[in-house]
Amino acid sequence: MTVTVESRASKQAKKVALWLTTFVLMLVMCLPGLWVVLSAFRPNREILAKPPVWIPEEITLDNFGKIFGFGAEQVGIPVGSYFTNSLVIALTSTVIALIIGVAGGYSFARYRFRFKGGIFLGLMLFRAVPGIALSMPVFMMWSRLGLVDTKMGLIIVYVSLNVPFTIWLIDGFFRQIPQALSEAAQVDGCTRWQAFWKIEFPLAKSGIAAAGVFAFLTSWNEFALASQLTRSTDSKTLPVGLLDFTAQFTIDWAGMCALAVVIIIPALILTFIVQKHLIAGLTFGGVKG
Amino acid sequence: MIRALTTRRTELAPFLLLLPAVATMLFVVALPLIFSLWTSLTPYKLTKPNTLYDFIGLTNYIRIFGDWDFWEAFLRTIAFLTVAINVEFALGLGIALLINKITWGQRGLRTIMMFPMMFSPILVGFQFKFLFNDHIGVVNNALQSLGLTDQAIPWLVDAKLAMFSITLAEVWMSTSVFAILLLAGLFAMPRDPLEAAKVDGCNSWQVFRHITLPFLMPFAYIAMAIRSLDVARAYDLVAVMTDGGPAGRTELLWTLVARVGYDEAKMGQANAMAYVSTILSVLFTWYFYRKLVAARRYMGGAE
Amino acid sequence: MAEITLEKVVKKYGALGVVHGIDLTIAHQEFVVLVGPSGCGKSTTLRMIAGLEDITGGLVRIGGQVVNDLPPRKRNISMVFQNYALYPHMNVRDNLGFGLKIAGQSPAEITRRVAEAADILGLAPLLDRTPAELSGGQRQRVAMGRAIVRNPDAFLFDEPLSNLDAKLRGQMRAEIKKLHQKVKTTVVYVTHDQVEAMTLADRIVVMRDGQIEQVGTPMEVFNHPVSTFVATFIGSPPMNLLPGTIAGQTVRLADGTEVPVPDRLKDFVHDGMAVQLGIRPDDISPVGHGLSQDGPGAEVALTVDLAEPLGMESLIYTRLAGQEVQAKLYGPRIAAPGEVLTFRLALDRAHLFDAATGKSVRVR
Repeated sequence: MTVTVESRASKQAKKVALWLTTFVLMLVMCLPGLWVVLSAFRPNREILAKPPVWIPEEITLDNFGKIFGFGAEQVGIPVGSYFTNSLVIALTSTVIALIIGVAGGYSFARYRFRFKGGIFLGLMLFRAVPGIALSMPVFMMWSRLGLVDTKMGLIIVYVSLNVPFTIWLIDGFFRQIPQALSEAAQVDGCTRWQAFWKIEFPLAKSGIAAAGVFAFLTSWNEFALASQLTRSTDSKTLPVGLLDFTAQFTIDWAGMCALAVVIIIPALILTFIVQKHLIAGLTFGGVKG
Repeated sequence: MIRALTTRRTELAPFLLLLPAVATMLFVVALPLIFSLWTSLTPYKLTKPNTLYDFIGLTNYIRIFGDWDFWEAFLRTIAFLTVAINVEFALGLGIALLINKITWGQRGLRTIMMFPMMFSPILVGFQFKFLFNDHIGVVNNALQSLGLTDQAIPWLVDAKLAMFSITLAEVWMSTSVFAILLLAGLFAMPRDPLEAAKVDGCNSWQVFRHITLPFLMPFAYIAMAIRSLDVARAYDLVAVMTDGGPAGRTELLWTLVARVGYDEAKMGQANAMAYVSTILSVLFTWYFYRKLVAARRYMGGAE
Repeated sequence: MAEITLEKVVKKYGALGVVHGIDLTIAHQEFVVLVGPSGCGKSTTLRMIAGLEDITGGLVRIGGQVVNDLPPRKRNISMVFQNYALYPHMNVRDNLGFGLKIAGQSPAEITRRVAEAADILGLAPLLDRTPAELSGGQRQRVAMGRAIVRNPDAFLFDEPLSNLDAKLRGQMRAEIKKLHQKVKTTVVYVTHDQVEAMTLADRIVVMRDGQIEQVGTPMEVFNHPVSTFVATFIGSPPMNLLPGTIAGQTVRLADGTEVPVPDRLKDFVHDGMAVQLGIRPDDISPVGHGLSQDGPGAEVALTVDLAEPLGMESLIYTRLAGQEVQAKLYGPRIAAPGEVLTFRLALDRAHLFDAATGKSVRVR
């Protein structure tokens, strides 16, 4: 009798310990981000206050007004154009990478051909080249081609950055769809092209969307290449813009936090939408040869 | 005649589909790498364009291999990656096992875990720079308010602490790749071998060591392979947090490349260093990809 | 008329040959079953007929037309896949109508023909469900409905019942047979299950290692297997094979036991020939257990090693000429291990195979 009571108590203790650990863990995961978000809504003087102000006394949207150039005072950094550049560059490169990636991923998933494993590995190894190492020769080439400080220049680079991993993911998604479905459609009267669009593509759609989100965020977040290949408001992206703040003598912490929030928000929303498919794609593409 | 044609078309289809991908990679990566290789064999400086055509053989490589600053950055990079990846794997495994035990809210926790992975590295760097700032950072503020220290701790200024802070940021950003994939592995784990092992008399440590862990290894290798594709993004962290300082004490191979190439405009020498860093990354990816393929084959037998 | 003919059909993957020159004619409205162990090339052959695999060599004709270079959609065939291959993002109605829609049929026509097919297969109440909401047997029926709705020249079935449990498999087998009686169309059916082959086929094609071992009606294949391979593959439990030598008018088995050579095979053997005596378990049964045992035979006393009661009969494991054989005991009675019973070998139904080639002595 006592034994059962004891074991129940220890089970309870274990459960509490489990929850406590998880709670601390989530705190560590979330707090840094939350602190940045919170600071984005506080005036600079409160952030700089000594002794620190723990409970915000004032919640304000001024920081956002400042960085986007409306409201009372402006910061000398054209965040608005950075934002547009980021959006245009990330979206365009994602769409192109997806088209190339769907073709490539389908090829790996559905055909047997010579050097298949080698080509796949080759694509991955190209992806592994460090951005900063790649930035130098690309910079030299792009300056000859007139692509430095253009959106096009960055879009081309980001497409190549995203193609390998997009192929990895999409290959996995297509292999989850039984080949017999496409065959059945072909027996039912479809060409292979029709079978792809009517059967395989609709079934892989959510996976392709997940791959697209991943590609979008890679472009949206990229810094090493963008920092060297962009110069002006014509092509500078948000991550490069963030560093503009630190280059100044007095760091505008509140402004940076506000800009950080602008960068974070798409990441949060998009991650939330596709997280399930993304995990499925990552594991399936990797585990099944 | 017609037969020959159709067979050839089916053989060509996969290559045609792959053509855009391969062409892109060749143009944007392979071609620049060749260019980079040539540049590394010249004394090219951005300020003196004509130097691009002076072939000096391996002089740049000999120079960097004789340069203690380079070796310091190189070894620091290796040490940084070794520590970071091991900690990430261990932590990720712990987190995955923990969440696997939890019966309620699993999905929510998993989603939260994905966020750091999707954050811009530059943002993570900024975030920790903000938290670890010696004057206004929340870490120092908290420690001082709690009375744990009366002086501000120079997290990003002291050489040792700065490297620690950078590693911490890196671990915070990348642990979730391991946690998520290992958790997916735990979800996919078949019950039968676990139960068989229990019936065979294994204790829970033995079950973990001999059944769970081997089953999880392919998932760990996927995580490592994915992680290895982008190891150099630590550059972004360092660039925003310390920019290699103080006095080059947090200089990694990648920041050194940027400094020599762009700040000092010595492109020839920087490209030689960049080549070393590229080979390092490629070997790293290749190694884990091979491990993944091997683990996959090994698993295939049990399916 | 949709006669299907295969002429020296060969399939190779690189250097690896899978099908080595098959000749076969399938008559209009005939139900032909390709049967054999896994890896014998039967599915590959079917897929070549469907157009899902390139044909390395030889000719395939459907209705007289060479289809080697026609894609599946131009062959006017339909196929039921092993895992049904229902389109998961469409409901049953759309699954059935998909082929008609692709063919550009009018909505009214599609509705009419889908309803017709649904009626034949009893799918009418399920039309608005998705495949995920169906049971295994229902999915199977949808797959068949999708095949018949297009009114094709031929149906191809690729191991359609292998994913069903035993009871449902029996039901669906009967449904397929009924369907063929209703919708008279040429059928090529692939299976590794000899029961399906026996029950469904007009003609069975037994395949082995990429070649045709025997073609014939179920009873021909059962009664006159051309080789030990066919003899042991068709019929359950498999035929017993006992090595021996011809000595005059008898077969001398390994331990010296002599049994007479069946009359009908006397002309095919010669003295000293090494043979295998094939005899089905049904043809070894204890004397005097309510079964009439006419015709020539030999009686031997055998010890029961193990008896598996199956209700109306028992399967008995015993030893004959030093080798384990299976015998059958009819009637609801159990034989005890160790019991010695007199068994009668129905030798008029026994077979002799050349020990060297494994071929029946009749086909030498």
